[in-house]
Amino acid sequence: MSNTRLIPLIIERDVRILFSDAFLVAIMFANFSIDLFVTAATFGRLVTGQGANYFLYIAPGSNLITAMVAAFQSGRDVWREKYIKDLTSYLLTLPVQRPVLAFSRVLGGVVRSVIATFPGTLVICYLYGILFTPKIFIAYLIVGLFSLGIVGLSMAISAFSSSIEMWVTVRSAIQLYLSFLSALFYPVSVFPSFLAPIVSSNPMTWAIQAFRQLSPISFAQVPAGDSLGSIATLAGPSLAFALLGTVCYIWYSKL
Amino acid sequence: MNETSTTAEPPTHLILQMALRDVSVLFRTPWIIITRALSFIVQVFVFANLISGLIHIPGINYFEYYAVGSVVATIASISFVIGYDIFEEAEEGVLDYLLTLPISRRQFIIGRALGGAMRAIVYTIPMFIIVAVFWGFSQPVPILTALLSLFLLAFGVTGMSITVAVSVKSANRFDVVLALLELAVSRASTALYPIGFIPIYVAVFAPFSPVSFAADSAHSSLVNLTLDLPAIAGLVAFVVIFLGLGATFYFRRLEGGVYA
Repeated sequence: MSNTRLIPLIIERDVRILFSDAFLVAIMFANFSIDLFVTAATFGRLVTGQGANYFLYIAPGSNLITAMVAAFQSGRDVWREKYIKDLTSYLLTLPVQRPVLAFSRVLGGVVRSVIATFPGTLVICYLYGILFTPKIFIAYLIVGLFSLGIVGLSMAISAFSSSIEMWVTVRSAIQLYLSFLSALFYPVSVFPSFLAPIVSSNPMTWAIQAFRQLSPISFAQVPAGDSLGSIATLAGPSLAFALLGTVCYIWYSKL
Repeated sequence: MNETSTTAEPPTHLILQMALRDVSVLFRTPWIIITRALSFIVQVFVFANLISGLIHIPGINYFEYYAVGSVVATIASISFVIGYDIFEEAEEGVLDYLLTLPISRRQFIIGRALGGAMRAIVYTIPMFIIVAVFWGFSQPVPILTALLSLFLLAFGVTGMSITVAVSVKSANRFDVVLALLELAVSRASTALYPIGFIPIYVAVFAPFSPVSFAADSAHSSLVNLTLDLPAIAGLVAFVVIFLGLGATFYFRRLEGGVYA
């Protein structure tokens, strides 16, 4: 069997791991619902004077945070395979080249993330009035591209974390960066000038901007036009992180 | 062996020893402390600082409101960690060792709950001091009342966490259930936003969240210099209910269904 024909099988294995406990997927949706219908809805009523509905402004953030959690779950599964289940040796005996195996694991994480956020993306598309338009496919593309980078990052962490505490700590630090040092809650212009480069290089900033540009509503300080520019910018860090994750997976598999 | 001989040590000393063990266990895992501290600092001094520029509520300084609420949410969050410890102890066989210690089951469980609350308070005090200094809360009685509310919240949440830890069997499920519970009690509360702005479908329940009781009591004490007795009464009820539940479930788990 050729290497490329094995890629879907490796992805399928990762998806099966996700659904080995469907309860987890349901809990992720519950988390999304709390984020959207409690926190975002409340901030939507608290924040005024933004020129548009603040709830809709931050709504895609709830979905992207769920995508982030699902993407990190893939990295955690890779960590468990090595340190808890001792499966690395078995995986290396599979008839597939290591770079292909590693990249397939990243792709598997992306597919898992898109599946976990599938209902959430539908909800956001409904709120934005694009549920029955071709823009819905762009919405899933944004979630997939964003997840690509985060899965890569989480796999890179798995390569260097010898304990679960360290893994959880690094994950939490990255989650803080993605959530609070991004344009998720406020425009980049609100940040002090020394933080602006950090915020502008955050994948969350571009993912959420791309989402907002899908909406027919024009939000304050979100450039008008289609999302392609933001998606292209998001692709840069996402592909770089995916490459980092692939390289780290290969490196740590050799240990 | 439900009751072991404890004549050598007074019960209060044994309970305190159990509690101090839990305090030292938390501080042996500095990663957890670093994560939560970093989260608190970013949330207060980046998120709350920036978003308060977009929020204008007459009579309320939202930056200050969020900072006090953040301390309350953090203590709830750190109190949940005892559940992870208890779950790990059972998985790794440490629980079997603990049960051989010359301490009765009752003292063991009270000690665990007290330890969970004590370490949460010890851990949160530096954050409380930062908030108190930054916003100039200097009256001793309101500070003590706020700390009492935080301690009661920590005690109750510890009981809740123990209840979940001994009720859920799968490690993965336990992780997500506890995370969801933590998210639900913190977000569906008045800790981070005033009740008047919470959507009606949450506002119906939010005042009865233990985090709301603690946050309302802390706000009243520190900001308004008044005592919120209904909130403190709610916290006491929460402690009684969840310590009772936690103890009952823990006894069941330890003794295979037989109460000590």
